[in-house]
Amino acid sequence: MDWIYPVILVGAGLIVVSVLTSALAFRFGAPLLLIFLCIGLIAGEDGLGLMFDDANIAYFLGSLALAVILFDSGFGTRTQTLKRAAAPAIVLATVGVLLTTLLVGVVARYLFDLPWLYALLIGAIVSSTDAAAVFFLLRTGGIKIYKRVRSILEVESGSNDPMAIFLTILLIELILADGRSNIATSFLTGFGMQMGLGLVIGLGAGYLIVVVVNRIHLEEALYPIVVMASALCVFALTGEFGGSGFLAVYVAGIVAGNSAIKGESALRRYQQGMTWLAQIVMFLVLGLFVTPSEFGPVLLPAVALGLFLIFVGRPLAVWLCLLPFGFDRQTVTFSCWVGLRGAVSILLGILPIVLGVEGADLFLNTAFIMVLTSLLVQGWTIKPAARWLNLIVPSQAGPVERIELELPGNPRHEFLIYRVIDDSPLIAGRHLPRWARPSLVVRDGRSFAFERVGHLMPGDYVYLFAPPEYVALLDQLFAKPQGPSKDDKAFFGEFKVKPESRLADLQRSYDLPVREGQPEEQTIAEYIAAELGSSPVVGDRVPLGPLDLVVRAVYQGTAITEIGLAFHQDSRKTPYKRAATRTPLKPITRLAGLLGWRGQRLKRTPDGTKTP
Amino acid sequence: MSLIANLLPPSNVVIDLEASSKKRVFEQAGLLFENQQGIGRSDVFDSLFARERLGSTGLGQGIAIPHGRIKGLKDAAGAFLRLTTPVQFDAPDGRPVGMLFVLLVPEQANEQHLQLLSELAQMFSDSKFRESLLNAPDAASIHTLFTSWGPNAADERRTAV
Repeated sequence: MDWIYPVILVGAGLIVVSVLTSALAFRFGAPLLLIFLCIGLIAGEDGLGLMFDDANIAYFLGSLALAVILFDSGFGTRTQTLKRAAAPAIVLATVGVLLTTLLVGVVARYLFDLPWLYALLIGAIVSSTDAAAVFFLLRTGGIKIYKRVRSILEVESGSNDPMAIFLTILLIELILADGRSNIATSFLTGFGMQMGLGLVIGLGAGYLIVVVVNRIHLEEALYPIVVMASALCVFALTGEFGGSGFLAVYVAGIVAGNSAIKGESALRRYQQGMTWLAQIVMFLVLGLFVTPSEFGPVLLPAVALGLFLIFVGRPLAVWLCLLPFGFDRQTVTFSCWVGLRGAVSILLGILPIVLGVEGADLFLNTAFIMVLTSLLVQGWTIKPAARWLNLIVPSQAGPVERIELELPGNPRHEFLIYRVIDDSPLIAGRHLPRWARPSLVVRDGRSFAFERVGHLMPGDYVYLFAPPEYVALLDQLFAKPQGPSKDDKAFFGEFKVKPESRLADLQRSYDLPVREGQPEEQTIAEYIAAELGSSPVVGDRVPLGPLDLVVRAVYQGTAITEIGLAFHQDSRKTPYKRAATRTPLKPITRLAGLLGWRGQRLKRTPDGTKTP
Repeated sequence: MSLIANLLPPSNVVIDLEASSKKRVFEQAGLLFENQQGIGRSDVFDSLFARERLGSTGLGQGIAIPHGRIKGLKDAAGAFLRLTTPVQFDAPDGRPVGMLFVLLVPEQANEQHLQLLSELAQMFSDSKFRESLLNAPDAASIHTLFTSWGPNAADERRTAV
C-alpha cells in the first residue's frame, strides 16, 4: 500500500503546480493549455523522469475528461448562439473536418512517405479544432470579439470532435481490416450510425436530465453531481450502442443548458470547476504520455505538416465551407486563422496505439508536434489577428463589481450585490429604476435600509432584487462609464440615432433617395433588422446610401436599442456587408434558412425596458 | 487649408454665448445665420431640430455638431459657438455640451454634407484641438485654429514646440 501516498502526491502536486502557473499565463497571454502540456512534459520521462506509458489509461482519462468538457461547452452554448451559427458551424464540423483530413492526408502521404490510409489517418487525427482552446482564447483577456464570428467558431469547435473521432476510428478499422472492407459503405453506414444515435440519444437524455433534476428534491450540493454523472452515463451508453458518445454528451449539454433547470447558477459554477480540472488532467496526462526524445525523425515533417495545416489546409477547407454563406472577408479570414488544435488531436493520436496499429508512435508524435505548432502560432496571435481584422467590439461600459446569489424556491428575481464605484452614473445623480428593489446598503461595514441612506456613495454595497432580464441594465448603471473614444467612433460611427425614428426622416435629413418599396412607416431599427435577416448583434453594419448604420446595443438578442451613424464609408475599417440574401448558391442558403440560420424577427422592446 | 475653413467666416465664431437649453442655442444660431448670411432663422431652427429628433448630434466630450439642409442655400455655411455654461444635449457620454459647430448645407449636397461632417468629427476627435478651442482667449484666435487645422496638425504642433 506504500504506493498510495506517492501517487496522490505526484498527481495532486502536478495539478497544484499547473493551477499556480496559470496565473503566469494570464499575465503573458500565452495559451494556458500550452503551459499545462509543458508541465506534463517537464514532469515526464525526458524531464523529471516520471514514467507513464500506459496508452489505455491515457486514452481512458482523456476520453473521460473530453466528455466532461463537451458537456459543459454544450451547457454553455445559448440557443441564440446556435441559431446564429448552426448552419455554417455544422458545415465546418462535418464537411470542413473531412476536407481538412483529405488535404492534410495528401500532403502527409508525400512528407512521410506513407500508404494512403495511414496518411489519411494523420489527417483525421488533427482534423478537429479544440473546444477548450478556442473558448478560452476567444473569451479571456477582457476583449469582445464580434459575436457572429465568435458564435461560428465556438459552435464549430464544440461540435467537430465527433466527426474527427469517427474518421479516425473508421480509418484505423480500415487499416486493421487490411483492405478487406469498402471505404464508401463503411463511411456512410458508420457516419449515419454514429451521428444519428449520438444526436437522438443526446436530445432525449438531455431532456430527461432536466425533468429528473426538476422533479426530485435533493440536498442542494447533490444536483451538480447527479447532472454530471448522468451526462457521463449518456456518454457511455451511446458509445456502448455504437453511437458517438461525444456528440450525445454535447447535445445533451445544449438541451440541459437551455432549459429551465433547478440550481442553474450552482450547476454552472460547479461545471466550470470540473471543466478546468478535466482540461488540466487531460493536458497533464497527454504531456506525461509523450516522449519528446523520440520526436527526432518526425520533427521536421511534422512541423512542416503543422504549418501546412495552419496556412493552407485549414484556410482552404474553411473558405470552401463558408463560400455558400456569403460572409465578408474578415469573418472568413478570422475563421481560417482560429483553427486551434488541442487535446483531442493528441488523444486521437493515442488511439492507433490503443487499437494496435503498426508503427503507431508516429501518429502520436506527429499529432503532438502539430498541436504544439498550432498553439504557438495561432494561439498567440488570435488577439492581434482579431484587432487587425477589426473584429474587436469596443466595450462601451467599464467593468462592474457584482455578486450573484442563488435564491431558494426558484423565484423570478435574482439577488445581486453591486459595489458602487467612483464614477458610477449613480453618484452623478442617476436614480435606481423602480423595478430594481434595493433592500440594503452596506456602508463602512454597517448596514442601512436603502430608504435611510439617501444618496449612494462610492464604496457602498447595494443589495437588490431584480428580474434576471434587467441585470444588463443594472450593470450599465453600476459600471464605470467610458466616454466614446476614437476607436469607438471608427467602430460605431460618429452619432447615435434613435432606433424608433423613421427611416424616411433620416433619408430626408441627408438627402438620400428613398428606396424602392420602402414602407413609409419603417423605423431605422426595422430597416436594419430586415437587411440583416437574422437576429442583430452588436457591431453589425448595414449600408444606407453612403452612410452606415451600426448596431450599438441589442436587448436580449432580438431588439436593437442603440444605433450609430457612420459617415464616409471609404475610410471605414469594418465593412461587414453580409450578403447572405444575395448569394449565387440559393438552395444552400435556403437549406441554411430551414436550419434556423436566418433566425428571428425583430421584436419591439417592451415599455420600461429601455435604457433607464 | 481644410474644407471647414472655407465655410466659417470670422464673424460666425461666437464665444461666451449665453443659452439655457439646446433650443435656445439653436435659436441663437438661427439669429446669427440670419444676421450674417441672410438665412431665415426659422429655417435654420427647423432644419436643425428635425435632425435632432432622429438622435442627438452630440459627439461626446462636450462637443456637438448640429447640422441640417436648407432650402435655397447656395453654399454650405458654418458657425462655431462656445457657451458660457454647457447645456444638456443628450450626448452619448451624457456630458453637457459647451462647444458647437453648426453646419448648414444646400438642399442637394449629400456628398459634400457627409464629407464636411466627417471632417468635423475628425477635427473634434483631436483632444489637443478641443483643448485649444476651449482655452482660446477670443473669437479671432478660434477662427485661426480652424483655418490652420490639418489632419496632421497635431504632429506639426509637436514639431513646432
